[in-house]
Amino acid sequence: MWLGDAAAGEAGVCPGQKLATALGLVPGLTVFERDKQRERLALEGLAGWAGRFTPNLSLAPPDEILLDIGGCLRLFGGIDAITSAIVAGCHEQGYTPQLGVAPTALGARWLARVGGGAVCADTESLSAALAVLPCPVTRWPPEVLARLESFGLRHLGELRALPGAGLRRRLGNGPLDDLSRAWGELPDPQKAFVFPEQFAASLELPSRVEHAEALIFAGQRLFSTLAGWLHVRQQRVRRCTLHLVHDDGAWSAVPLHFAEASAEEGRFLRLLREHLGRLTLRAPVEALRLQADELADRPADSAHLFEQAPSGEGALACLERLRARLGEPSVRALALVADYRPECATREQDPLRDTGPSTAGEAPPGRPRPLWLLPHPQLLHESRGGPLWHGPLRLLSPPERLESGWWDAGERQATGDVRRDYFVARNPLGQWVWIFRSAEGWFLHGLFA
Amino acid sequence: MNALPLPVALADVLARGDVWRGDTLASLPEATIPSGYPELDAELPGGGWPRGGLSEFLVERSSVGELSLLLPALACLSRADGWLALVAPPWLPHAPAWAAAGVVPERLVIVRTEREVAWSVEQLLLCGGFAAVLAWPDERIDARALRRLQVAAEGRPALACLWRGAGVAEQPSPAPLRVALAADEQALAVRILKRRGRPASRSLCLPFSSSLFRPGRSSRVVAGPALSVLADRIPAAAPAA
Repeated sequence: MWLGDAAAGEAGVCPGQKLATALGLVPGLTVFERDKQRERLALEGLAGWAGRFTPNLSLAPPDEILLDIGGCLRLFGGIDAITSAIVAGCHEQGYTPQLGVAPTALGARWLARVGGGAVCADTESLSAALAVLPCPVTRWPPEVLARLESFGLRHLGELRALPGAGLRRRLGNGPLDDLSRAWGELPDPQKAFVFPEQFAASLELPSRVEHAEALIFAGQRLFSTLAGWLHVRQQRVRRCTLHLVHDDGAWSAVPLHFAEASAEEGRFLRLLREHLGRLTLRAPVEALRLQADELADRPADSAHLFEQAPSGEGALACLERLRARLGEPSVRALALVADYRPECATREQDPLRDTGPSTAGEAPPGRPRPLWLLPHPQLLHESRGGPLWHGPLRLLSPPERLESGWWDAGERQATGDVRRDYFVARNPLGQWVWIFRSAEGWFLHGLFA
Repeated sequence: MNALPLPVALADVLARGDVWRGDTLASLPEATIPSGYPELDAELPGGGWPRGGLSEFLVERSSVGELSLLLPALACLSRADGWLALVAPPWLPHAPAWAAAGVVPERLVIVRTEREVAWSVEQLLLCGGFAAVLAWPDERIDARALRRLQVAAEGRPALACLWRGAGVAEQPSPAPLRVALAADEQALAVRILKRRGRPASRSLCLPFSSSLFRPGRSSRVVAGPALSVLADRIPAAAPAA
């Protein structure tokens, strides 16, 4: 038995028991095997997330992370503010942290192991707090701890009160050096955690998930790890992919494409919600894997001095969500094309690709162009030689001839060669239309609105 | 002694956009966008198209010059680098005409959707990044959706326009401004059905001018039979060009 939850503890199951004993106490006990590899991955994931607090952190496997918060206390507004933010963030991700704050790394680790969230801002309070810690908190080898027990030494304070040379002879150098490090008398350099170059994080789900919406909560954890990683590297992500691992071993990918590179967790989740809302899972999902595909450097941002920042998320983020819900072809911006065939003069493009204003293809001055075009010219009936559209159309302008277009004649879905005379016309109901006459007859092509 | 603060408080109350005296037009808290037609501005509360509230345009029949009424305002917003959005437009927008009217095509977003019109408009308004949102909802849009849109538009610096059929003029609507548009032979009749302030007594006639055919120019309302002016002008312009 390594660890049990609260209900198991109430039933008398405690760490160190044999599995048979535990099963005897609680017959229906659910047993999971310990997986050190996954523990390590979880620790690295949490370290990535903690990158939002400080870039200087190091792992102390199996279960500890050291954050150097000395340099960022002012940024977060003091020790209390930063520790409560860390604890709240860990809870959000489903972890139950125990933390200790101390001027020395080893002191902080020992304080954290007893729980209680001790905060020591200076060395005096640290030595007072360390003195009352029980010896086993140091995780020294069992024979050392047994020897201390036989000496009758229970607390670290008693150990430190004894003369050092004699203890060194009896216990070896390791424990004594540890004591000096914890009290800050020996330097204690830490191996910095190196944030990976590529971001990829996976998460195994506790149970199989059949509905896409239920993945949002799990996805949240992955995205907050991503946000921490981006923060440390001062980067933003433009494209990332969430891979869903199904229970039959197959994968499916949910690509997320951001309108502008972003490092904001809330924005990731809003887009994820839109995507998962539309997704139908083809098989239950066992695990998630998030991978950052395209990154961009983060420009330094500055706060507004005079003007208030506009409320809301801004046009680009909104377009990104519209596109996620309605599909990319449904959200387009326009661009001009230098082509005088009306149906070719407009190009629809990705609104998120800012090309700057184009000048090509402006209508010749003085020539009427309608705001709306019909998708396809509509053949008009004729009566007494004139076209009809909700009544006889009265021609109001001299003809404007638009012709040629041989270069794409014969291509699929191209307009091809045209030979048309365009007129502005009006019907008895007062509607202004743009019609043309070609060899095939009269056609309605545009509406002035 | 206590009487002094009262007139001040009353003036404060009257300065709010949602409270007005029965004989005047309300002054709006948000700056309005000049419509480009002085006669029309005089009839609109705040002197222009309102921001921060829905405006409904009820059109019996399309392509009678209804969008041209808004084009000067849209061009003004687009020149100031604002994003414009057309949600569920009835036909394909023809970029050269919009560009000639002064709208930057790259900043004109077309959102094509049938069922999600209300949701899209709400998102576009809430995000705060759009200067104008024009939407063509179908007839089934209900009062609840309209109320949601009005709430989304409130306090946002966007011009929010809904284009609806003339048939809904009798139905109540939460939009603070409702305008019915109709065309006769020579003019576009603008009838303000609802506004913040005293009710409009008569409809306003904006005669068709050459603006329809030369959309880049700011429109002038010309007196007299505009169509004859137009007919005179086009052959005259042709040799010059």
